[in-house]
Amino acid sequence: MAELITITVDDRPVHVPPRIPLIEALRHWAKVETPAFCYHPDLSVAGNCRICLVEVIGPRGAAFGIACHMQTAPGLAVRTQVSSERVRWARRGVMEALLVNHPLDCPICDKAGECTLQEHYMTQGRHESRLPDAAGKQYKGGPDHRFVDTKGQERGGKRIDLGPTIVLDQERCIVCTRCVRFMDEVAKDSQLAIAGRGDHAYITTFPGQPLDHPYDLCTTDICPVGALTGKHFRFQQRVWNLQRVESIDPSDALGANLYIEYTPERVWRLMPRRNPEVNKSWISNRTRLLYRELAINRLTAARLQGRDAPLAEGLAAARAALAAAARVALVASGHCTLEDNAALLALAERLGAKASVFSGSWLPLGRPDGIALSGDPVANRAGLRLLGLADNLDELVRRADEFDAVVILHHDLWAADPAKAARLARIPQRIVLAPWLESSVRQATIALGIRAWAEVRGTMVNCQQRIQVLQACPVLPDPELEPAWRVLAELGGLSWTSELEAFRFAAQRAPVLAGLSYRSIGPYGRLLPQPAAAGVA
Amino acid sequence: MAKVVPRPELDAWQRLYIGEIFKGLLTTLSHAARSLSDPAHFPTLQYPEQRPDIPRDYRARHRLMKRADGSPRCVACYMCSTACPARCIHIVAEESPDKHIEKRPARFEIDLLLCVFCGYCVEACPCDAIRMDTKQAVIVGDSRASFVLTKEQLLDWDPKDYPPDDVQSQKAPGGLLHEQALQELRSGTGH
Repeated sequence: MAELITITVDDRPVHVPPRIPLIEALRHWAKVETPAFCYHPDLSVAGNCRICLVEVIGPRGAAFGIACHMQTAPGLAVRTQVSSERVRWARRGVMEALLVNHPLDCPICDKAGECTLQEHYMTQGRHESRLPDAAGKQYKGGPDHRFVDTKGQERGGKRIDLGPTIVLDQERCIVCTRCVRFMDEVAKDSQLAIAGRGDHAYITTFPGQPLDHPYDLCTTDICPVGALTGKHFRFQQRVWNLQRVESIDPSDALGANLYIEYTPERVWRLMPRRNPEVNKSWISNRTRLLYRELAINRLTAARLQGRDAPLAEGLAAARAALAAAARVALVASGHCTLEDNAALLALAERLGAKASVFSGSWLPLGRPDGIALSGDPVANRAGLRLLGLADNLDELVRRADEFDAVVILHHDLWAADPAKAARLARIPQRIVLAPWLESSVRQATIALGIRAWAEVRGTMVNCQQRIQVLQACPVLPDPELEPAWRVLAELGGLSWTSELEAFRFAAQRAPVLAGLSYRSIGPYGRLLPQPAAAGVA
Repeated sequence: MAKVVPRPELDAWQRLYIGEIFKGLLTTLSHAARSLSDPAHFPTLQYPEQRPDIPRDYRARHRLMKRADGSPRCVACYMCSTACPARCIHIVAEESPDKHIEKRPARFEIDLLLCVFCGYCVEACPCDAIRMDTKQAVIVGDSRASFVLTKEQLLDWDPKDYPPDDVQSQKAPGGLLHEQALQELRSGTGH
C-alpha cells in the first residue's frame, strides 16, 4: 500500500491512502457514515445524486463538494454531517428533491428493508412533506401502468417488462445510472440507457430490445431503490425476514463470494458478497439461480439397487460392500469441499492397499468471462491438486476391470461423458454419494444422500489458489442428511465429530493448510502460495 | 421485584370462622334477592342461549376488508405478519391482474390457535385491510386445520353486519378515490 497521507475530517486528522475517493476515506478510514445513491465502489463515479456532499474548506472558505468525485490529497480539509449543520441542511434538501417523484409504496416494494433511499431517508430525510396532498403519488394504471408525477404529468411505467429476468418501475427510479454504468463498464454490453432530460429522464432499453445478459440481475442488487426487481424474487419474500450465511459459488472454480439468504422454511435467494479480489460485487445469473435446485430433485435417503431405503441401511450395505471388495476405487470430487475429499482420503487410508484414489472431471472447460466466472465448472479443482490428487479419471476407466467396488463422491459422470462412464458399470459395486438424483445415482448399486453445498461448512480452493469458506445454511430437505465427510468417515469407521477434524486431516496431506482455521481464512478467503509446477486454470 | 402483600391480622371472632361463613352467605343471598326483585339487571347470562353484547372495538376474530369489486384490499405487504408477535399470519404474494394494483395476496392465512389477539396486525396495516371487529369472540373447531382461517374465510362477511362507514372499504386505491384524486389534479384544485 502506498504511504498514508493526512486529511482533516471534522477538525480531526485522519490518515488515509492518497488518491482514493473521499467517500471511501470517510467510510472506511474516518468511520463517518456517508450516504450515496449513485456511487458504487466497483463502478465509475457519476456524481449525479449529490447526497454525499460535504463541506470542503478551501482558500475561499467552505464550499460544498461531493465526496464520491473528490480524491484524497494532502491537506484536504472537510466537514461532514457530524460537525456541520450546513451539510445536514443541504442533504435534507437533496433528499427532498430525490423524493419529490418517488412513490410512497415501500410496503409493497421488494427493496424495502435493504433500500438505500429508505435508509438515508430515515437518517436525514425531511419527514414532513411540503407538497400539496393531492400532488403526485397517483398510480394511473392502464395497460402500460403509467403514473402521474408531482407536476401532474402522466408518464413512465410501473411494471415495464425489460427482459426475461427484470421488471422496471420507472416511478421508483431516481436515475442514479448505476445500472447503466454496470451494463457499460462491467457487462460491457450497453443495453440500458437514459432517455429524456431533466425530470423526464428515465431508464430504458433501446427500442424493441430486451435487457438480456448473463449478469443483468446484478443491476437489481446495485439499484439503490426498488426500480429494478428480479422476476425470480419479485413478491416472493420480504427481505427483513431473511437470515443469511456467507458462502461461495459451488458451480465455478472462481468461487464467487455470495450470501445464502433463507428463512427456516427455505432458501429464498443468493446475493453477491463483495470481495474485491474475487468477484467484486457481481455474480452471474446462473450462480444466482442455483438456490432453486436446493429443494428439488434431492436424494434424501439411500437407494439400494434402485429401491429407497433409510440412510442407516444404505450405510450398512456400503460398509459391507467395501469390506467384501478386494480392490476399491475411490473417486474424489471437485464439486465437494476439501473436508469431504479429506474424508475420502481418510477412508482410502483405512482401506489400506486395496484402495486407489482417482479424481478429475469430464465436464468441458469454458472460458473466463472476466466478471465472476472462470469457466471451469469444477469449483474445487485446485483443492484436489492441493491434496495431491491427479486428474486421472480416464485411468479409472481403463483399469475398471481391476476393481470390485467404486465409491463415487458427487459426480454427474454418466451425464458428463456417457461413453466413458458406461465402462464404470463393469465394476460390480458402485457406491455413489450424491446430494441430487443425478445420473450417477441411477447407475449406482448403493446410493447415499448427502448434504448439498449450501448445507455444509467447509472450504474450497479457487482458481487463484484462494482458500474460501462455505458456511452451512440450516435449511435441509431432510433432517437426517449428513455432510459427505461424515458419511465417508462413518464408512471408514472414523469417529469424526466436526468438519474441523476433516480439515486437520487435509492439512496433513497439504502442509500449506497447516495452522489455518475457518476464522483465520476469514470471509474474503486467504491466498495460498502458488504451486510450483501447476499451471493456472 | 416481588411485592409482599401483608396478611390481615385476624381477631379471635374471625379466627373462629363460623361467623365469616355466614357473612359470605349473606353476600350471596343479598345478590340473589336483588336479582329476583329486579330481573332486568341479572348479573349472569343464560349462556349459550343468551350472548353478551360484545363491543365493536373488542379484538375478536379477524376479517379482511374488500375493495368495491369484492377483491381483498390487502396488498400483501407483510406488515401484519412482521408485526405479529405470535407469527400466526402466513402470506403468499402474487402479481395482481388488476392494472391499478401491483401486488395481492395469493394466500392469506391466520392460525387462530397461535394468535394472541393483540391487534398489532390491525395497527400495522397501512391500508386498513385487516380488522378485528367481527365480534366473534368464541371460535370453535374440531381439528387444528380448522382453526387456520383462509383468505376466503376472512373475506366471507356481510356488510349488513357492520355499521355504515365511509372508509369501510370502497375507497381503497384502485377504487373511486383514485379517479377522484386524478380529476382534482387535472382541474388544478390540488395543485
